[in-house]
Amino acid sequence: MSSIKEKFNQISPSEFFYSNRDLAGFSNPTRSLYTAVREFVENALDACDQKGILPDVHLTIKAVDPDKSDPKPYILTVKDNGPGIDAEHIPLAFGTVLYGSKFGLKQARGMFGLGATMAILYGQITTNKPVIVKSSSDAKIQNQFEILLDIQKNKPVIVKHITKEVAKKGLSVSICLEGDYSKAGNKIRDYVYETSLITPYASITFDDPKGQKFSHPRFVKNIPAPPTIIKPHPHGIDVERIRRMIVESQFEIPTIDDAMIEKVRKDLGLSKKNLSFTSIMDKAKKKWKNLPRQVRVVIALMSFLKMDFEKLNKIRIEDIDMPNKKLFYWDFGDSQSKSMDMDPESQYYKQLTNTVQGEPLTTFLTKRFQRVGPTTAVKFAEFAKLKPEKRMGTLTNQELVNLSDSLQKFDDFMAPDSSCLAPLGAEPLEKGIKKFFNPDFVAVVQRPASAYSGFPFIIEMGIAYGGDIKTGGPHVYRYANRIPLLYDEGSDVVIKVVNDTDWGRYKVKGEPPFIIVSHICSTRIPYKTAGKENVADRQEIERELRLALQFLSRKLSSFMSKRGQAEAAKKRANLYAKYIPMIAEFCTELAGKKKEPNYKKMLETEIETETKKAVKEEKEIGNK
Amino acid sequence: MATSKAKKDSKSKARSKKADDKQKNILEMLKSHGAKIYDDLDNGQFPKFSIPSRSVSNIVYDKKLRQYILGNNAALRSSRNSAQLRSFTQLMWLAFFANRLTNEKKSSTLRDVYYSSQAFAVEFEDQSESDNIIVDLEAVTSKPREDFHIFPEERSSIFGDLNIEYTIPGYEGKTMNLANHPDGYSIGPSLTTAELVDTSAEIVIAIEKGGLFTRFVEEQVDKKFKSIIINTGGQAPRSTRTLLKRLHDEMKLPVIVLTDGDVYGEHIAMVIKSGSANAAHLRELTVPDAKWVGVWATDIEKYKLPTIPMTESDIKRCYDLQKDPRYQDGIWKKELDVFLRLKRKAELEAFSKYGLTNITDKYLPQKLELAKSL
Repeated sequence: MSSIKEKFNQISPSEFFYSNRDLAGFSNPTRSLYTAVREFVENALDACDQKGILPDVHLTIKAVDPDKSDPKPYILTVKDNGPGIDAEHIPLAFGTVLYGSKFGLKQARGMFGLGATMAILYGQITTNKPVIVKSSSDAKIQNQFEILLDIQKNKPVIVKHITKEVAKKGLSVSICLEGDYSKAGNKIRDYVYETSLITPYASITFDDPKGQKFSHPRFVKNIPAPPTIIKPHPHGIDVERIRRMIVESQFEIPTIDDAMIEKVRKDLGLSKKNLSFTSIMDKAKKKWKNLPRQVRVVIALMSFLKMDFEKLNKIRIEDIDMPNKKLFYWDFGDSQSKSMDMDPESQYYKQLTNTVQGEPLTTFLTKRFQRVGPTTAVKFAEFAKLKPEKRMGTLTNQELVNLSDSLQKFDDFMAPDSSCLAPLGAEPLEKGIKKFFNPDFVAVVQRPASAYSGFPFIIEMGIAYGGDIKTGGPHVYRYANRIPLLYDEGSDVVIKVVNDTDWGRYKVKGEPPFIIVSHICSTRIPYKTAGKENVADRQEIERELRLALQFLSRKLSSFMSKRGQAEAAKKRANLYAKYIPMIAEFCTELAGKKKEPNYKKMLETEIETETKKAVKEEKEIGNK
Repeated sequence: MATSKAKKDSKSKARSKKADDKQKNILEMLKSHGAKIYDDLDNGQFPKFSIPSRSVSNIVYDKKLRQYILGNNAALRSSRNSAQLRSFTQLMWLAFFANRLTNEKKSSTLRDVYYSSQAFAVEFEDQSESDNIIVDLEAVTSKPREDFHIFPEERSSIFGDLNIEYTIPGYEGKTMNLANHPDGYSIGPSLTTAELVDTSAEIVIAIEKGGLFTRFVEEQVDKKFKSIIINTGGQAPRSTRTLLKRLHDEMKLPVIVLTDGDVYGEHIAMVIKSGSANAAHLRELTVPDAKWVGVWATDIEKYKLPTIPMTESDIKRCYDLQKDPRYQDGIWKKELDVFLRLKRKAELEAFSKYGLTNITDKYLPQKLELAKSL
């Protein structure tokens, strides 16, 4: 057999996303235009939310050559009044993939700002035009960049950079990309419309390529409380995440060079004097509490080596073997490796253990996870069959996997902290629904926070009936973290829950004029695909959705029965008016009479009574 | 001669008066119902009336009458109840329409009624809704719809030496002998309302199938056995059952029934004899003395008839009928049990195995003889 050697190349993130752009929603000109709009609008809204600014977002799509037929190049511009981005970050933020400020654990529309870079990348691939970024973060100077992406190196190439004086903060991003507005237009307009429903505190305008203007002014003046960044919940992490957290918790053994020795001397206040080993130790003991960790480690090492600064200068630490309590070092003077026993009773031994082996399990849990106290941590250690004082750095691979499994399975952790969530709130949601649909009936509910796999979530839901709502309902408006979800609704968990509902039970029949607005807020929405269009049916989420929908449906049901009574009264009045005269006509001939019976007065009284009933019921509905 | 003619005339007059009286009674009854409704309205009240309940729980078998009848449960129909208002109006219209039909001596079909309603802006969803209202009128008045000149589509026929005298407009006083046309006469409104004058026949043979009816006419069964032959065309329509009853009651003729040798045939005979649960609200449709002479389940074995297997629905029907009080004894129970044992059935035509005229030459005479002892 001939030997064919495979070539292994590292590819840059840009290259990876270039070849997998379908995953991120850039599969064709229609979808790509829509996804690009989404990414930029969402970034603008996120930026404003984070700084508590009431967002003004302007979206413009213009055809480069209006006479060409679709698909064709479009210029997409999104301008906001957010905090802007400092000039030095702009090239990296817009010219590399996986560079962003959104890596913390809290609710945001996007996770990493990845989508925007993808849009830029897609624009560059299809039109070979740079992204134009105009940003002012101080309301004085605006930096204007034209940037291309070096795909292979994942590096920005600045084509042009100028500055200008301005009076307002904000960011404007403009890309040229191939799109198909004739097909994507509907979705984009829906997207803007639905976004303004779930973001009532934002003003959003949209100038479309055909010269139409869509304006959605804000109708709520208060921005919802911004979410806080929090530590992870034990249920929400995996082995890789734990490994990284352990690395973060460990400290390297400092290199003992001249600079380090100088730092130790300075921190001990000995810069001028040359003290003996014992005096140094005495001094260190007194100052211990104020010493930084690195200095403490050096002191600890010195305590076992029994060396002063001069001697210390002539060796290099080779290894610290905690299990065997031995310290290995290279003596430059003698040119050989030497070892030294360490006394495990010494307080300095503990210091070294901490450094080399990381924190004990219980400290690791309480310090690095949300809502884990010392008692729970000890209980967990027992559950995971690990010693509470077990050093994180000494865990074997198998123990790590076991730890990760146990973290998932241990039920006594408190529910995840929901302070990282930013639901819209029942009141603004109701206001939005009323403004958009002018319904006869509306009810909203915000469920208490719940969690799936360690990720907290909150369901907000609204239901409305009648008014300007089109028939053929229920029409479902799905949102996740204030993003409208427009594609792939067939496999979405919200749709599943709605479809499972027997509306007849709630007195909703036929083709009702009826909408449901569902908003899922979470630090991580369990999307089924990277395109962020449908939410997977996690059991916990499904349950909360069901409870919310049942609560609202019951309210709708009582509205419907009131309305039904009013309608029935009206209907009765109509039936009497229609049929009684017919009965009178037929029985007159049947009875062989000439004149019809005197029934008109009775009929009038009856119709009047029924009409009054109908008016009364309708009033009650109106008062609710 | 003159006296005989005069006698005939006076007889005819008497008959015609009888028909007139019947019509008068119907009209009087309708009028009294109408007057009640009229008075209610005139007094500023929502009119209402009561109607015997036709629900299954109210249908009981009357052993003395030997038929199903309605029990004592009745429902109140009120025009104040918006759910009933529509059907109330429909029934009111139907009474009004029946009144006109009877007055003008015009006949109509179930389908006619459905379409006629539209001229008066009375809505029926479909014909089955209007059919149902017609049954309501029957139940309220205890009269079959034929009395109101509403007839089903006719599909049964009659042949034999029977003189009748028409009472329908344009034919009043005209007579006819029903042996004049070998295809038989269809039993429609004119025949149902005609007076039965005289007959030389001594028995009525009701037969389930048109094919056999034709064979019987060809083989001159009417002459050979002094009989009137009636083709019921499957389950006998109500006008045919009325005619059978009149032949029995007015002409004093015994009635025998000849059907296919299966459970449905057996029940065709039973319905002629004692009515159906569907018509439990009516009492003038049965011939309690009618006799089913074949084809019996036991005949299948006795005459070694070619058979076909029973279907699942045949078998299910057997079990259903076993619960019917009329099938608890005698020949009815016995034959049903044999059908269930054989799980096979035979048609009337099966006798053709022994030659086309075997049924009239051999089988029928034996059965007629047997009928005397039943």
